[in-house]
Amino acid sequence: MMHILNKKKLNQILTGWSTKYDIYAPQKVEDYSQFLPLGTADELALNEPHNTRFPPKSFFLPQSETLLKYDHRLKQLKEVVITPKPRIIFGIRPCDAYAVKLLDTVFDTAEYTDPYWKAKRNATLLIGMGCNDPCQTCFCTTVGHGPFNHDGLDALLTECQDNYFIETFTEKGNKLFSDLPAATKDQQRQVQEMQKKAAKSMQPAFDTTNLKQNLNQSFDSKYWAAISESCLGCGICTFLCPTCFCFDIVDEVQRNERIRNWDTCMFRIYSLEASGHNPRPTRKERTRQRIMHKYSYWIDHAGEIGCTGCGRCIRNCPVGLDIRAMLRAVNTFESETVNA
Amino acid sequence: MPDLEHNPYNPIPMHIMQAYYESNDYSLKSFELSFDNREDCDEFFKKFNPGQFCQLSIFGKGEAPFGIASAAWEGEFIRFTVQKLGTFTQQIHQLKAGDPIGMRGPLGNGFPIGNWKGKNLVIIGGGCAFSTLYALTKHIQHPQNRSDFAEMIVVYGTRTSGLCMYKNDIQSWCQREDMQIHQAIDIPEEGWSHHVGYVPDVVKEVAPSPKNAVAVVCGPPIMTKFTLPILVELGFKPETIFTSLEKRMKCGIGKCGRCNIGSKYICKDGPVFSLAELQALPDDI
Repeated sequence: MMHILNKKKLNQILTGWSTKYDIYAPQKVEDYSQFLPLGTADELALNEPHNTRFPPKSFFLPQSETLLKYDHRLKQLKEVVITPKPRIIFGIRPCDAYAVKLLDTVFDTAEYTDPYWKAKRNATLLIGMGCNDPCQTCFCTTVGHGPFNHDGLDALLTECQDNYFIETFTEKGNKLFSDLPAATKDQQRQVQEMQKKAAKSMQPAFDTTNLKQNLNQSFDSKYWAAISESCLGCGICTFLCPTCFCFDIVDEVQRNERIRNWDTCMFRIYSLEASGHNPRPTRKERTRQRIMHKYSYWIDHAGEIGCTGCGRCIRNCPVGLDIRAMLRAVNTFESETVNA
Repeated sequence: MPDLEHNPYNPIPMHIMQAYYESNDYSLKSFELSFDNREDCDEFFKKFNPGQFCQLSIFGKGEAPFGIASAAWEGEFIRFTVQKLGTFTQQIHQLKAGDPIGMRGPLGNGFPIGNWKGKNLVIIGGGCAFSTLYALTKHIQHPQNRSDFAEMIVVYGTRTSGLCMYKNDIQSWCQREDMQIHQAIDIPEEGWSHHVGYVPDVVKEVAPSPKNAVAVVCGPPIMTKFTLPILVELGFKPETIFTSLEKRMKCGIGKCGRCNIGSKYICKDGPVFSLAELQALPDDI
């Protein structure tokens, strides 16, 4: 069933939730938007031309997170208490919600469950906002998703004139909106058409048919040296990527804590071994690792491409490297391989 | 609340039972660790298989992976041989009997010894990477296990005789009739009666038969690189050659992302791979 909510009533519904949940939603910060604790609906920035600058992965995998505490004699372990309050991430874009679902395949496996991830995941509802006007750097349809995809979401809002139309996909999501009236058949049709139109407006950015195969074949290709030449190795593409999850574990001596911090395969020290050997000594190998991980290794691990097409790496690259152009080049670079 | 009972990042409390140097340059030191809790000990030995590794942990100093250098039948302890190389291994070297230490493990797959029953074993090691092969050899030597395997040949090379680990044991292996051991050093030394030369050359000289045999190779990358083709030349099939890999790793359970070769994680899918498996992976070692 599709519900209808007048835009003017959004504040009321958010206030209603706030007695039970912490609500986070995109708000304007300088010239971009960012997920922040919500006060009232007029603080919302739901119509920004771009997605939030930072991906919402940090709600589940904070940039820095305490794993363990020990006492000053470096002996006893103290329990780290994570008491995640129930919370709602409101206005998350479908690409970012799907990224969280993809990360579940890393942190919540049958073999080892990451308790820190799981606790925060269980306490969180994702209420999505579909994208009526996908921006130039978005390419979700190319990687198999779409501006109104609901995978990973508890509910999805579609903005249409004065109203939001709401589809719910989980019991928890349904409960949040169950008091709202249903949309008429006509309205439903109108919403569906809008959703289709938005998806249609997005041109395929590259061909994924043989992409994995082409990437695997290009492993020793000159191509990687060529495309990584202008890369500065700053790592912003990975820090702002909603599916990048690599972390480092270090002991924070002054706080008596063992913590994990986001890390990036784009840094030299990431793979440097104590012996001095580095399997990825130059930006060539590191760029290759980033691209191969997203478009080849993820498929082996989870059966899917590990990129949701959010475009943050494109918008924020200081030298204008465009992952779409890189992948188009892989598809046409086939034969020129060198034996490494 | 995270389930701290099953928190895979939570080290098991252990103590150093014994610490002793292995090499005459004081770079290699063995540590025997005992469990503080009975349940941890039982749990560990339920899962333990030679070839696996553990994350050793000193709070405030850090954590790093080390191969297990003891067999289960030796007793309720775990041995690690640590080469003093970086900042964390320097800290470990300072530990003495009675000091506490954290441990996560056993991690990784270990050697697929279940598939090796009835086979001849060719065990080839170089330098301090011999530690997990020592665990494997010890495991097989136990009377209850020995009859599961046919002939056993061990090739062990070090740069000098002083760098040879587990000296007493290795000397006694020379007297054993159920195995052959070929020791080698890189440079000639006075009084040395064994092989002189690099491990790949010694393997060529010893020329173990590939018939009904598996070969296990652990050593520095350069040794492994030159030994594998010689085994292939001798007629070993890639499916019968095994090696153990190492890479910088943090979590040890396939989450932190840094130890991958292609789509395999060394910590979780390895560290032991057959040459056939490695040939299917990109050259990212």
